[in-house]
Amino acid sequence: MKAVGARLPRYDGLAHVTGRTQYVDDVRVHGTLWCKALRSPHHSALIRSIDTSKAEAMPGVHAVVTAKDVPHNVYGHLEALGVPADEPLLADEDVRWKGQPIAAVAAESEAAALAAVEAIQIDFEEREPILDIRTAPATGDDHFHQWGAIYPHFGPHNHRRVRKGDIDKAFDDADLIIEGVYRPQAIEHCPLETQVSLVVPEPSGRLTIYSCTQAMYFSMGVVAAHLQWPLNKLKFVGGTVGGGFGGKVDTATETICALLALKAKRPVKWRFTREEEFLTSSTRAPWHIEIQDAVTDDGWILGRRTLTIHDAGAYARFSPYGLTKHAFHHTGAYTIPNLRFDGFVVFTNRVPTTAMRGFGVTSVSLAVELHMSRVAEQLGMNPLELRLKNANRIGDTTGNRVVMHDPSTVPVTLAAADVADIELGDEYKRMTQERRSGELLPEHLVAQQAPEGEHLATYSGANGGGR
Amino acid sequence: MRLTVNGVEHDIGSPPLTTLLDVLREELFITSPKAGCQQGGCGACTVLIDGEPRRACLTPVAAVDGANVSTVEGLGEPDQLSTVQAAFHERYAAQCGFCTSGFLMATEALVARSDGELQREEITEALSGHICRCTGYVKIVDAVAAAARGDVAEQRASADTEPQGDEAATMIPGSPA
Repeated sequence: MKAVGARLPRYDGLAHVTGRTQYVDDVRVHGTLWCKALRSPHHSALIRSIDTSKAEAMPGVHAVVTAKDVPHNVYGHLEALGVPADEPLLADEDVRWKGQPIAAVAAESEAAALAAVEAIQIDFEEREPILDIRTAPATGDDHFHQWGAIYPHFGPHNHRRVRKGDIDKAFDDADLIIEGVYRPQAIEHCPLETQVSLVVPEPSGRLTIYSCTQAMYFSMGVVAAHLQWPLNKLKFVGGTVGGGFGGKVDTATETICALLALKAKRPVKWRFTREEEFLTSSTRAPWHIEIQDAVTDDGWILGRRTLTIHDAGAYARFSPYGLTKHAFHHTGAYTIPNLRFDGFVVFTNRVPTTAMRGFGVTSVSLAVELHMSRVAEQLGMNPLELRLKNANRIGDTTGNRVVMHDPSTVPVTLAAADVADIELGDEYKRMTQERRSGELLPEHLVAQQAPEGEHLATYSGANGGGR
Repeated sequence: MRLTVNGVEHDIGSPPLTTLLDVLREELFITSPKAGCQQGGCGACTVLIDGEPRRACLTPVAAVDGANVSTVEGLGEPDQLSTVQAAFHERYAAQCGFCTSGFLMATEALVARSDGELQREEITEALSGHICRCTGYVKIVDAVAAAARGDVAEQRASADTEPQGDEAATMIPGSPA
């Protein structure tokens, strides 16, 4: 462990400061064509017809692709985890978000590609879009997703559930019920390097794919699935990412470039413009989170009811997985013995949402920490003392039955108090992460404490264990 | 049209309204200036035109016919970094690296006209047109201040991943070191 604490140079530092790092957009291959996409101008519409003949006949245009050119058009990023496929690579019968790709062109220059995109004739029948997760399930419309407004595949349920203890008794026993609603917004990752790939058809029949992906093997799998090719015909070159923050887990450009490269028999590059990045690339999801806590006058949280609605946008992508992580973290760094959590993934006609730093967890952490401060304020307690009292301790059991072995809530909170120069009561200053006993093990916490030495961990993936 | 880029003269064949960024990247294959937004908002394409930091993405090449253009390729080699490059490298001021070229060129100009000490306010003002989305700003500002003071280690000729001086070799399990 000599590397820990050592001041080692970044392995890529010299290349960065000498301008020699080769990002995808810096790769130069002779004869490269530019890709541009025709994107939906509507939030929601039926596609009555697509006519690409004019575009195909234009000077400098080498290939045009639509849904009918994709060997396997509908593929799901998380099919291996039990999230069924729902999203077409190129829109076929309808469009469900403004910016959804419908057709793509490869041409000698960006200008020629853009002109060809303009020449594609398409006939839409617009529909009323649904943009608000709070009202989407109540509209009764099912046109914005084949599964309806609510993602239905959490085991036997249409939502992610956590049940622990006796929630009704906790609320009956409470001195006070404290409620809050928290709505973290969508956030664009906004890496300085926009989505980009370069696909080169090789004489061997393989494709070399220069990709900015954050997830090489993931992207390989996605491209292989759409093309219905074996993985050994794809050579991915990557690992140099000009910022990703989660947004480059989605495979945005590689597959469409591959189809165009195969059709044109030329290398094809697609680099999103900044406008495309902002308007059409996936974002962090907006969430609607309602929390009700059953609390006692002396600062114990006996129970928590949570309702979460996650905005998936138009397709599922990684949302069910994000919501599951969200469910696991909905008590934050604190132990609450009685829980009822219901989390829904709801579809809207917004850009699909995806991973972003702390996927699924930052939203609920924001809500939980704001709520803890709200509880403390309403009780007239020091907010750090409330946190210490309810902190995770060794032997405590989380909502999804994970037993804490080394929870850091107490030392971290004490350190925060120290840095912020906040005076704590003596009984709080003396707290440690050790197992609860004495006054810190009141009646309501006895049942949630795991027997000494018990090790339970039930991280169940995106869709398993749908309790 | 002609440009002198990093001391080398080039005849330019691109149409006159082509951006300097496209001339550098697509005609001359000088790729350290990056196309981050192509609308002057992010600073990743910054180069020096006759010593002044300018957005290459907003500059038609005809407007700088005959100018001297400097990019990161014209600064130091990996074994002989400029003071600014060394400061950025030593102080971990590059994360993903995509904004780094722009920051380096703006800093070269800033340090060249400073008298050895730069206040943090001066640095943040001078670099306010540059975005680092990895948000490594603290280390960037530290590096710029160090570069202005000339506070960088003696240049070493050894490769980046070799143990340096008394530093331990990496002992991360599975690493070849």
